[in-house]
Amino acid sequence: MTDALALGLFSAVIVAMAAYGYRFSARSAEDYMLAGRAIGVVVMFFFVLFAISSSWTFYGFPGVLYRHGPAYVLFIWGSVAGFAGLYMFLGPRLWALAKLNRFLSPVETLAARYESPTLRVVLAVTMLAFIVPYVGIQPLGVGHGFVALTGYPLWVGAVYTTVLLVVLVVLGGMRIVAWVNIFLGVVYITALLGSLVWVVAVAFPDGGIVEAVARLKETAPEQLAAPGPLGEYTRVLTIGTFIVGLLAFTWPHVVIGAMTARDRSLFKWLPLMIFIFGGLFFYVIPFIWGSIVAPAALPGVADPAEADRVVQTVIQTFLPRWFAVFVLMGVIAAAISTAAVQLMTAGILVARDLVQGVFRPQATDAQIMRWARWSVVAIVVFSLSVTVAVVLGLGEEAMALYLTDISVPGFAQWAPALVGGLLWKRGTRQGALAGTLAGTVYLVAGLFVGGERALFLGLHPILPTLVLNGLVYTVTSLLTPRPGEEIVDVFFTEVDDFLHSESSRG
Amino acid sequence: MREMMAHTAGRVFVAVLALSVIGVIAAIAAGALEAPAEGSPAVWFGWVTAPLALGIVFVLVWLVAYLVYFTRFWPFR
Repeated sequence: MTDALALGLFSAVIVAMAAYGYRFSARSAEDYMLAGRAIGVVVMFFFVLFAISSSWTFYGFPGVLYRHGPAYVLFIWGSVAGFAGLYMFLGPRLWALAKLNRFLSPVETLAARYESPTLRVVLAVTMLAFIVPYVGIQPLGVGHGFVALTGYPLWVGAVYTTVLLVVLVVLGGMRIVAWVNIFLGVVYITALLGSLVWVVAVAFPDGGIVEAVARLKETAPEQLAAPGPLGEYTRVLTIGTFIVGLLAFTWPHVVIGAMTARDRSLFKWLPLMIFIFGGLFFYVIPFIWGSIVAPAALPGVADPAEADRVVQTVIQTFLPRWFAVFVLMGVIAAAISTAAVQLMTAGILVARDLVQGVFRPQATDAQIMRWARWSVVAIVVFSLSVTVAVVLGLGEEAMALYLTDISVPGFAQWAPALVGGLLWKRGTRQGALAGTLAGTVYLVAGLFVGGERALFLGLHPILPTLVLNGLVYTVTSLLTPRPGEEIVDVFFTEVDDFLHSESSRG
Repeated sequence: MREMMAHTAGRVFVAVLALSVIGVIAAIAAGALEAPAEGSPAVWFGWVTAPLALGIVFVLVWLVAYLVYFTRFWPFR
């Protein structure tokens, strides 16, 4: 009963914030989709950090560290550089382009850059195909938390999360999603860090983390180095994992964040917060959980799904029940903060790029917002199929590898078109189309054809597919006529002038 | 990034970041994350394992390079 009351109160706060945000988000499509292009550096940091720090950082990430040792953390180090790189290298130009030309989505921006409605459809469909299942993993993660803590069936937690998501995104829009991410982020950090400090004090009273490491050195030294207890994280796989992290700049729900910036100064200061708060503080917490504290406190968990839940199991073993409920709220916060941004992004791709871009070019703001909201409802209901698949025994449960082995390679397939479109004047429509299609078809074929993913030549899926994509993009661009002067003016000359004039005014 | 490649400070900045990425890959390839054949895994301060230490050094390199370039040389500062 207390559990239900606490979770009810938690959801009431989120619903109240969404209802408050409805007053702002309903004004125009720009308000609803891009928060009126008014997000400042602090809100942006929480917005981005908790858009990417899903329930994966509580379940999947520590789960892999627990089973395979610490080498998997290289994904995080790559990601920190990738996210900072997005804001240092691409962000200012994307932001300026969107602001000058009133673009509402990054896919719309690239379609205009390459003068290709076909590319718009290809990119939108590709991004949707890889983002929607990842949305579905978030309610699934919460469902597992409900099962472990309350004994409720899996679907209860999944439906609870889904309802909250729909209310938040449909009512609030991007601005309130960003603001709610601050609240959710504070809850999550408090739960994750608080539980770590408390468990360490209880389980290792004589020496804290140092005692935990000393215990592992004696009983399971393979837990403290590559290739890990199962010997899987070889040098090749670890390097591949690091490179996958570097490509975090391609995640569509992070890219779109750059378009919501209030001004150019955001791109100067956001990397500082990413390095210090994200890289040197936040991500170290789940690393210590998964690679040191959980294996030392609760050794012997071999099943991947059980390993995914090991942090929660440790908390329930060592801490009072009321705190475990608070931690579950933190997990729900992490799941919602990520899925809400992904849903907003997916809604924009459907409403702005597919419906308006293809079928109804003359649509009004009100119509675009209505389609975005309906598409959010449809996507979130569809994404529940992930939970249904697991309940019916049709799907796999290991979360971490879905992110790094399927979603991120999928997101990466627009990297050559994105980077080339913003930075390379010679990139052409034919190159962008050919590269994106070649990489995506190769990825899908490799995932589903042949045992043990033979088509990837034993490499991580992202490496061969991205190399092919980039080569096809570059060669085809060089072999086809260069973009016209008007495109160069709009996408390079005017942007340079605007950014320089902004800085001289600043 | 185009603005970075248009002046020397920017090219140095990009080169430092690229070298740090190559350095991480080289460290992994050289076996820096693995335990010695006849010894226990490397641990600093009683709890910092090699993958954590490598990552902290990597992030610190990016942080220092970013601070120097973005506060003193970035054309849009």
